[in-house]
Amino acid sequence: MESTSRTLEVTVISGENLRTDRKPVKKNAFVTIQTDSNKVCTTKMDADGGSYPSWNEKLVVDVPMHARFVTVEVQCKTSTGNKTVGVARIPISDFVGGHVPQSYLHFLSYRLRDYKGERNGIINISVKAKVPEYASCSSGTGMGMGVPLADNNFGGVVTGIPVWCTGAYAGKF
Amino acid sequence: MGNCFSDMEGGKQAVGAAQLRHTASGTSNNNNGGHNDAVDFFYKSRGMHPLFTQIELSLSASNLVDRDYTSKSDPMAVVYAKKKDGKLEELGRTEVILNSLHPAWIEKVTIAFQFEIVQPLVFHVYDVDTKYHNIPVKTLKLKEQDFLGEATCVLSEIVTKQSRSLTLNLHNKNGKTGLRNFGALTIHAEETVASRSAVEMTFRCAHLDNKDVFSKSDPFLKIYRIVESGDYVPICKTEVVNNNLNPTWKPLCMSMHQFGSKDNPLIIECFDFNSNGNHVLIGKIQKSVADLEKLHKGRSGANLTIASSHVGHEKVLKGQLFVDQFCQKEQYSFLDYISSGFELNFMVAVDFTSSNGNPRNPESLHYIDPSGRLNSYQRAIMEVGEVIQFYDSDKRFPAWGFGGRTFDGTISHCFNLNGSASSSEVEGVEGIMAAYSSALHNVALAGPTLFGQVINTAAQITGDSLSYNSNKYFVLLIITDGVLTDLQETKDALVRASDLPLSILIVGVGGADFRQMEVLDADGGQRLESSTGRVATHDIVQFVPMQEVHSGQISVVQALLEELPGQFLTYMRSRDIKPRSPHVAQTSASLLIH
Repeated sequence: MESTSRTLEVTVISGENLRTDRKPVKKNAFVTIQTDSNKVCTTKMDADGGSYPSWNEKLVVDVPMHARFVTVEVQCKTSTGNKTVGVARIPISDFVGGHVPQSYLHFLSYRLRDYKGERNGIINISVKAKVPEYASCSSGTGMGMGVPLADNNFGGVVTGIPVWCTGAYAGKF
Repeated sequence: MGNCFSDMEGGKQAVGAAQLRHTASGTSNNNNGGHNDAVDFFYKSRGMHPLFTQIELSLSASNLVDRDYTSKSDPMAVVYAKKKDGKLEELGRTEVILNSLHPAWIEKVTIAFQFEIVQPLVFHVYDVDTKYHNIPVKTLKLKEQDFLGEATCVLSEIVTKQSRSLTLNLHNKNGKTGLRNFGALTIHAEETVASRSAVEMTFRCAHLDNKDVFSKSDPFLKIYRIVESGDYVPICKTEVVNNNLNPTWKPLCMSMHQFGSKDNPLIIECFDFNSNGNHVLIGKIQKSVADLEKLHKGRSGANLTIASSHVGHEKVLKGQLFVDQFCQKEQYSFLDYISSGFELNFMVAVDFTSSNGNPRNPESLHYIDPSGRLNSYQRAIMEVGEVIQFYDSDKRFPAWGFGGRTFDGTISHCFNLNGSASSSEVEGVEGIMAAYSSALHNVALAGPTLFGQVINTAAQITGDSLSYNSNKYFVLLIITDGVLTDLQETKDALVRASDLPLSILIVGVGGADFRQMEVLDADGGQRLESSTGRVATHDIVQFVPMQEVHSGQISVVQALLEELPGQFLTYMRSRDIKPRSPHVAQTSASLLIH
């Protein structure tokens, strides 16, 4: 069965050195995560945190297979509405593929840039891909569900084949 | 990191206490506040370690030689530390057990475990003559006792074993057993329970005095332990909160071996941070951890005091200290992990750029001295390798060179030092030395100085091992004589590797200006940033220039190694990876199919 999206557990941990209008953010910062144009996940606001807010909130995000980025935006609720503090575009390849196991808990941090493109703080998150239940039994198919993510180093998604598999696949090791 | 600007961000960082946050950018102990480093060194050079792990050694023996005619030997054991000059320093002795050739002594000997050095131990067993039996053991003159046997080992050999016990055959003083069986000595090492407890507290102050003219004070706290001599030994400090007379600092975590016991008096000083380094004391207070716990429970504050103009009097200030959170927890120690099967895997990369100088020339940094004197590269390999080898179970180390022209004429930035096309591994520290010497004959020095490929290869090995198990932590030692050609490439590789169980130690040899390299060692508080906007998760790099230290007490490379247990623990704790119970370790080993 082909899946059209992968599920990620994203824990939005904290932010550092956030500013609006050149002054440190006082309070009420929150984070939105967006993977395609429709779905947006939002955290709660941190009322006290100021320019070093911490949320420690876990969001479950569905990322379409063809998506190349996850957009994380830090906003701040003010009396005049929501202000964007900064945005980070996180390449999927930073936590998918590579040499670590699929279920690895990634701790990642990114530079935020404001609407002018200038640096404005850092966002700390953790990402873990939720490995769907059926994947561990799908040794019968053998091939990966390969949708290349259009990145230089990245060839495709691979399904791990358990070492103690016997029968038709024993000869392959 | 420049000409006019001092390291403000670094100076404002919290120091010493582990801060348990998910992204552990501030948790390593080596955030340097410059001034704190000097104070720590001051105390260390006088033998007062602010941080140490206490180990208790319990001894027992079997099949001892029988010296007495009418009854069996009355054995006692003495434990020595062997110093660098070969001299033995007594650490302690057990009690005398009467009439036994298989004694299990009760009296324990304490030793401070220091990860960063090799700690050779020597054990002597004596038969104590009857006439000395009622005299305190300490006063016994060993020359007057009958020598029963000697054994030697290294402390890390004992603590890395799952059982934390090592059995050695006793032998004669000159190392021989001859025809005689001298028996065996078993040493068991136990961390004192105090090492595992830790306390996490969130401090807040209210109504602090304003010490700044145009704005408010920028307060931070510094905590000291009072030692027997009455001196204050710094334990840790909080970060600086700017412009605030009612600050709340981030939680501070102190382990019991930092503060001693819950009743030990601690001094907490509150300073106003000044960029010129002259921090102004706002006030101080003396409390033990138990007192701080009471403050938390009672939700009350305690007033700070300051020395008044009247000699001997303390003026009570309006400013108060509160403990908003207080949490006591058990933390697994480095040795808990190690003895449960966790390993440190050592990897090394050597600079083969032409700036080292032709190896045949005695001036070259790569010159192999026929008299046996080690060059800087060999010294760095030995000092790090000798310590880490005990923590690596198979003692097979990947070893690479970079910046050299290999036999096929191409310049490689990551070639196997052993000359093999398939495997980069060598056996033991001797294997690294041998591969290094032979590579000097087979590889021509070239350039430029690039680390990226070596770091990527090390990261690949680290990531691959995670698929099998999560009990390996990797240490990459890069020894280089020069400054990087492409700093950004290296930063990118380091950022990509920063979320892995990997620490990178960079030793600079020779006389080059290494200031640029210090940027990589993010002690200044600036996290490394890649060209794609990703920021390093952990500070995994340490850089130190190796100097010609002939008589120094603490080698510069040792200072690098001191940070390793902390980095290891940061990684494990941030992911909530606990030491394995012995039962689990054995079952997973049997399931591993090669």
